[in-house]
Amino acid sequence: MRHAVRALHSCVLRRLQVQVQLDLPLKASVTPATRWCRRMFSDEAHATHLDRGEVVARVLDVVKTHPKADPTKVTESASFQDVGLDSLDTVELVMSIEEEFAVAIPDAVADKISSCPEAIEYIASHPSAK
Amino acid sequence: MAGLIKNLRVTQTGSGSRTLQEAHRRSMDFFREACRALPAIMDRYNLQEVTTLADLRSKIAAEFRKHSKVSNLKVVDMLVFKGQEELQYCVDHSKQRHHLLGQYIIGKEGLAGDVHKLGETDHGESEFLKNFYRGNN
Repeated sequence: MRHAVRALHSCVLRRLQVQVQLDLPLKASVTPATRWCRRMFSDEAHATHLDRGEVVARVLDVVKTHPKADPTKVTESASFQDVGLDSLDTVELVMSIEEEFAVAIPDAVADKISSCPEAIEYIASHPSAK
Repeated sequence: MAGLIKNLRVTQTGSGSRTLQEAHRRSMDFFREACRALPAIMDRYNLQEVTTLADLRSKIAAEFRKHSKVSNLKVVDMLVFKGQEELQYCVDHSKQRHHLLGQYIIGKEGLAGDVHKLGETDHGESEFLKNFYRGNN
């Protein structure tokens, strides 16, 4: 009796095969079905990309209030050297921008920011700038 | 980061800089590290009413600027090392509040020079006394 049940059990299991359809695309594309189960990790989930006009206004404000900067020369496309800052002042200015927007810019990236448009670009594309 | 963990070694030893660019990069990295430790330092020594972050940053930049003309790589490395040591003392609370006030926030001119910085009101009484306080150095 027990053997029969076991034999029947294994027969049934062998016959029952779930059809697996591997038609999911290899790259995760956002279909209506997957949109709701997209995993939102912290930076993306809390992303509050700031309004660009606001970013520009605040960055230019930070540059103008730097003690060595010449406020008349500060424009949206000015480089920090045009405004009258040397390399040490530039680093100090980038730190002020970090403080203003509550972000932490990695050193390798911070070295490359040497003009207003670059700073504006970085902040505007940073997901957790406040 | 230096400010978050007490007793984290800020000072770095190792082979010296080989080019001026590397020495410059080392000093700028140290400047950034010092600026990042500033909020913790202000917190630890209760400097919120006395000064602002921006002001402290300017003071640190002024300290750096004193040595801006140095071109000997070994000297630059040594200066960075001494600076890191100083930062370590500030972060570890090995220094005390009056040390920071005297060395950085008010500065040497404030202590024995212009009496206005010490917060005394000037009633215009005595130029002689002002010169007396200022001293001969």
